[in-house]
Amino acid sequence: MSTLKISNLSKTYANGVKALDDVSLELENGMFGLLGPNGAGKSSLMRTLATLQEADSGSASLDDIDILKQPADLRKVLGYLPQEFGVYPRITAEQLLNHIAVLKGITNPKERKLLVRYLLDKVNLFDKRNKSVKGFSGGMKQRVGIAQALIGNPKLIIVDEPTAGLDPGERNRFYNLLADVGKEVIVILSTHIVDDVRELCTKMAIMNFGEIVYQGSPQSAIDNLGGKVFQKIVERDQLNDYAADYKIISNKMVGGQPLIHVYSEDHPQNGFEQVTPNLEDVFFSKINTANVLV
Amino acid sequence: MVYIFMLILGLMEFFATVSDNVQVGGAIGNVYRNSPYTLTIHVTIFCIFSLLMAVAFFNNAALRDHNNEFNEILFTTPLSKPGYYFGRFLGALFVSTLPLVGVFIGMLLGTYLNSIFNWIDTERFGPFYIEAFVNNYLLFILPNMFLAGTVIFAMANKWKSTVISFVGGLVIIVAYIVAGSFASDVDNETVAALTDMFGINTYSIETKYYTPVEKNTLSPGFSGLLLYNRLIWIAVGFVILAISYFSFSFKQKNKKIKKVKNETSKSDKVFDLPKLNPSFTGTTNWQQFKSFFYTNFLSIIKSVTFKILFLFCIIILVTDLTGGFEYFGLQSYPVTYKLIDSIKDNTDIFIIIIVVFFSGELIWRDRDNKINEVIDATAHTSFISMAAKTLSLISIATILNLFFIGIGIIYQLLNGFSRIEVDVYLLDFFYDNLPLFIVFGAVTILVQVLSSNKYIGYFIAILILLVLEIVLSILDINSNMVDVAGGPSVLYSDMNSFGPGLKGALWFNLYWTIFSVLALLIAGALWNRGSKSSLLSRIKTARKEVPKSYRGVIIGVTLSWLAVAAFVYYNTQVLNPYRSGDTEEQLIVDFEKTYGKYRDMATPKVTDAKYYIDIFPKDRDVLTKIEIGLTNATDKPIDSVLFFNNENWDTKINIPNSEIVFRDSTYLMSIYKMSPPLQPGDTINAIIEANYVTKGFENGRGSTRIINNGTFLNNGEILPTMGYNSGYELNDKNLRRKYDLPEKERTPKLTPGVTDLHQANYLSGRQADFINVETIISTSKEQTAIAPGSLIKQWEEDNRSYFHYKADTPSLNFYSFISADFQIAKRKWNDVDIEIYHDKKHDVNIDMMLDAVERSLKYYTENFGPYYHKQARIIEFPRYANFAQAFPGTMPYSESFGFITNLEDETDNNVIDFVIAHEMAHQWWAHQLIGADMQGGTFMSEGFSQYSASMTMKNITENPMKMRKFLKYDHDRYLRGRSGEREKELPLWKVENQSYIHYGKGSAILYALQDYIGEDNLNTAMKSFLEEYRYAGPPYPSSHDFLRHLEPQVPDSLNYLIKDWFKEITLYDNRLKDATYKKLDNGKYQVKLDIESYKIKSDSLGNETRVPMNDWIDIGFFMDDDEDQLYGQKRLKFNTDTSSLTVELDSLPVKAAIDPRHILIDRVYKDNIKGLSIEE
Repeated sequence: MSTLKISNLSKTYANGVKALDDVSLELENGMFGLLGPNGAGKSSLMRTLATLQEADSGSASLDDIDILKQPADLRKVLGYLPQEFGVYPRITAEQLLNHIAVLKGITNPKERKLLVRYLLDKVNLFDKRNKSVKGFSGGMKQRVGIAQALIGNPKLIIVDEPTAGLDPGERNRFYNLLADVGKEVIVILSTHIVDDVRELCTKMAIMNFGEIVYQGSPQSAIDNLGGKVFQKIVERDQLNDYAADYKIISNKMVGGQPLIHVYSEDHPQNGFEQVTPNLEDVFFSKINTANVLV
Repeated sequence: MVYIFMLILGLMEFFATVSDNVQVGGAIGNVYRNSPYTLTIHVTIFCIFSLLMAVAFFNNAALRDHNNEFNEILFTTPLSKPGYYFGRFLGALFVSTLPLVGVFIGMLLGTYLNSIFNWIDTERFGPFYIEAFVNNYLLFILPNMFLAGTVIFAMANKWKSTVISFVGGLVIIVAYIVAGSFASDVDNETVAALTDMFGINTYSIETKYYTPVEKNTLSPGFSGLLLYNRLIWIAVGFVILAISYFSFSFKQKNKKIKKVKNETSKSDKVFDLPKLNPSFTGTTNWQQFKSFFYTNFLSIIKSVTFKILFLFCIIILVTDLTGGFEYFGLQSYPVTYKLIDSIKDNTDIFIIIIVVFFSGELIWRDRDNKINEVIDATAHTSFISMAAKTLSLISIATILNLFFIGIGIIYQLLNGFSRIEVDVYLLDFFYDNLPLFIVFGAVTILVQVLSSNKYIGYFIAILILLVLEIVLSILDINSNMVDVAGGPSVLYSDMNSFGPGLKGALWFNLYWTIFSVLALLIAGALWNRGSKSSLLSRIKTARKEVPKSYRGVIIGVTLSWLAVAAFVYYNTQVLNPYRSGDTEEQLIVDFEKTYGKYRDMATPKVTDAKYYIDIFPKDRDVLTKIEIGLTNATDKPIDSVLFFNNENWDTKINIPNSEIVFRDSTYLMSIYKMSPPLQPGDTINAIIEANYVTKGFENGRGSTRIINNGTFLNNGEILPTMGYNSGYELNDKNLRRKYDLPEKERTPKLTPGVTDLHQANYLSGRQADFINVETIISTSKEQTAIAPGSLIKQWEEDNRSYFHYKADTPSLNFYSFISADFQIAKRKWNDVDIEIYHDKKHDVNIDMMLDAVERSLKYYTENFGPYYHKQARIIEFPRYANFAQAFPGTMPYSESFGFITNLEDETDNNVIDFVIAHEMAHQWWAHQLIGADMQGGTFMSEGFSQYSASMTMKNITENPMKMRKFLKYDHDRYLRGRSGEREKELPLWKVENQSYIHYGKGSAILYALQDYIGEDNLNTAMKSFLEEYRYAGPPYPSSHDFLRHLEPQVPDSLNYLIKDWFKEITLYDNRLKDATYKKLDNGKYQVKLDIESYKIKSDSLGNETRVPMNDWIDIGFFMDDDEDQLYGQKRLKFNTDTSSLTVELDSLPVKAAIDPRHILIDRVYKDNIKGLSIEE
């Protein structure tokens, strides 16, 4: 059982943007979902944990490895899929994975070969192993990326927006794969897609403006909102009035008309009906604290 | 951007105009700094520079819409194709010519401001010609940018890649430079002029005989070869443009869709996750290194840029090799060093470009491909990745180099040359190129790691590799320790292997290699791992990124680097200090200012010399002791003598009854005061000890005279100079003005009769006349040492070889001492021993060389008089210098020509024989008779020798047309030489040691003279002249004395030749305007010739005036197209400028000619010959 401990991590970029603002988290084996809108600081956090970025203050450790001070040691037990995963031109999938496997310390050539084939099969690319990766579609490349993140015996796997560009079938395969490994190691999955977290994670955190705004299990978050979310279909030109009167969590179009969710301790009447909150409501309620139309 | 380029070129031109430190092409001597010629040379050179700018403009014009992905929007608008295509092209064309207009502005501004501020002498500026600017724009700037533009525009439209466009631009430049190297021989000048795509060689060929006056006044014009060249290449441009236009389409090219193969063989294998044992040990590092290396190496090999450059390299090398190694119409054997040189000259620049280019590609590859975060997050040390990248660069460079060596070897074999020296190729590679690749690889990698962007990295790398050297030379810093990858160059010689520079080169290689390792270690520590961050923050976090041992390694490497640096510094700066160019110049100036007062101080003459010389080839030491007799040849007592010792020679002078009264350690100068003074006619014997001891190694190559095999010294290098030597003074008139030195006569004026000036000859001055020399010389056992005179005794002692030589006749105080491992070829001619001392590898031409010596001895003894030595020795020396030189009875001859020239097919005259004949002739002209130290002196040695050599060739040549081929080199040498004259051209009899006059014109005129007055008559004159002055000592003769002997031999009818050819500068402008024939009834042919013939007199600057014609000139005919069979030659008197004559001939010739054998000096000879056409 490994423990990842993040304490008071802060990072401000040169242009003044606060990417991380006093972030503290503690995780253990299992899938951990990191939700947040674009620009919330998820990637900054992940890059910091992946030893690719410095923090201004705070600390992070995986078991007895101080991530910020011993990057080389952390890398030995790290699997990382960055948000943008590109590939070299003029190199095949097998060659690429083989190269990365060497870099990850798989020195036994036989082991390495079996591992690369196993992973290629897992991500359904075995038949394409001798094709140039540069010519792969976005989804195929992403699968190569996933395969490389699993190389070695990582204790910490960080995947940043892994399902972007995957079709639903591929996404399912990926989740199964991740769930398999996730039992024994820490997996941090960052995403802005709420469903991903709901389906996979036992624990989660929501980030916004560099801060952790919620931390806990998805279910308890949903439970906390129980009986406090109401919905109504409204006219488009009335949206602003509703925004003024209610704490709107979210609005989306249903059949051409806005459907709004509002948060309220009591039933707001006025044609609203109570709904069972879902994780999306949690997400929006946590990040939309100003209650503006989004 | 365009204004920045314009500013840059403008500034460069401005400084080239107003400063002596910045030189472009070079405006020298009498040519104005703003003359049309200077302007044109500058414009054409800058044209090449601006090609890279043009690439930017044309590439941008072609790709802007494409790169901004605006094309899909734009091309769907109702835009016409020609409007779009040519609009873009013409826009770019106009813009790309603008930077070159900056050159005009720079020159105008420079001239104007200089007239106010007087940075340099305003005398060196002349008037402006508006025509020069207009014509330059229309003849060079516009057409060149047009031509280059069409190529780049077409490439950009085809491949849509900026990189390929730049490679294209580079390829144009290099192709151009290489093509220019074909223009070396006089024969294919027209071809060279027409094939030059930028017209630069065309211009230089058209102006090669321009006099300074013409350079100052004539603008390039729309005529002749230049016009044809421009029309040809503009047409080529249009063709390229048309092809490109028609293949251009608004439609996007369909991306190639490869057929997907049906992959039915879907395996149903079940894969199991193996049990993994990730480990991070030393082995892991090694495997990671290999994997990094492999991926990086493959990425270079597979890249298109690499393939293009590689292919291009091969093409250039092979083309160069196909041309062979030409030397005055002969081919050299392809000895290994020739191929090594050719490979370096043609491919090194490309390999460096590849290294620089791919250093950026490799460093930025991860980031460009967005895989950097994955790679960076794996557990490897950055140093391993950096080292692998560097090694892949070095490997690529090495493989290329080895590949080119392979081409070289194949070339040698194809040419039937079987002495393949793989070891020499490889050693040269290890000594010279490999260190270069290592250093450039590591430094460019470091530069790319430190810089925040690939292009900035390229820019800095280019600055370091190219500009640094220029900056250092401007700052007057010569140490190779600060010039990246600097060091003494090794130069392979068949005789002396890698030579004196090798030791230093190896130490410098070590110094730079350790530096490279250090650079890589730093690169590894500062590698931008993860998010892009500033250099400063990388330095802060560097410690975390490297293993603990890293710091120790850095310190260790730094210490060893410093230790090597200290050792190199000690050797190159302390043991063997040197002076920078500016310091040297200042020293020379101060020398004249301080000691010029001793100019006229009387010195005794050397009358006897006995040398004891011990040469230690291995250590490169020479120890000498010389007993010299000093005689007071003046009519006043001499009480003190000035000595200037030779640099690097530890010299002790011991004169009886004298003391040192003054010493100057800067100039190694001392004044000895003798008491009692040396009375007129008295002689004292001085003993001089002079030792040269090689210490460590030097910043440069070191002495190439005292070496392991082929030591070659002359007496002047060993013995101190007596008295003030004005030969050390600055000669360039502009430099002299800069340092406020008075104007200097190059040579004392030609004076008739016998004056004080006639007391000194031009070679040994007043230091000596004809003296007796005896030498005891020793060297290592396996070598032979040679000194002047007969070998009296030879013995071995202490495992060394000793030789005792004694000159058989008093000779000029000018002789050589040589030691090497020689083979000796001997032949006896009458009682003269002909000996050729040569390296054992160079035995092919020896018989022919012996023949040449024999032939010379025969002709000269018959025509001029006896040979006074008992030997005629030709001695090979290593190729550090490329000349042959005549000492009394001894002629050192460089290994680089003669010995390795292929003479298999040469049945008669060739330049190798010619050089031997020339040096042999010096045994009469210089060593028996030498001119006084005044104008015309060298005419009677060099000019006469050149003539004598020509005559030995003429004597064995059956076809007079062969001589025309040979003499054209002399004509060309003269005409080109006068075009580049820095001060003033002088008539032949007043030549001031100007080689184009005494060699080129001397040979041409004397050869023509014997043709006009008869060989015997001229030889009689020379013989009687020789007899009067042979070995006579002062007074020495002048040109007046020669003419005194010549005049009786010249018939009155030809008396004008003496004035025209010797005393004035005369040129002919002959032209056959028209040549027609008709068949007569008697079966003969009547040929009618329309001839134009002008005689031209030129002043010393090249101002020419036509003078009335009243001269004898030949006409003649050729029976073949190759002009080998001369027929019906006649000498006629021409006294009008244009004349028409009719000749009746038995057979019908193919061509007619005026001056068919090219006897007269004629700037344009080609128009003297014309094919016959039938009369209408």
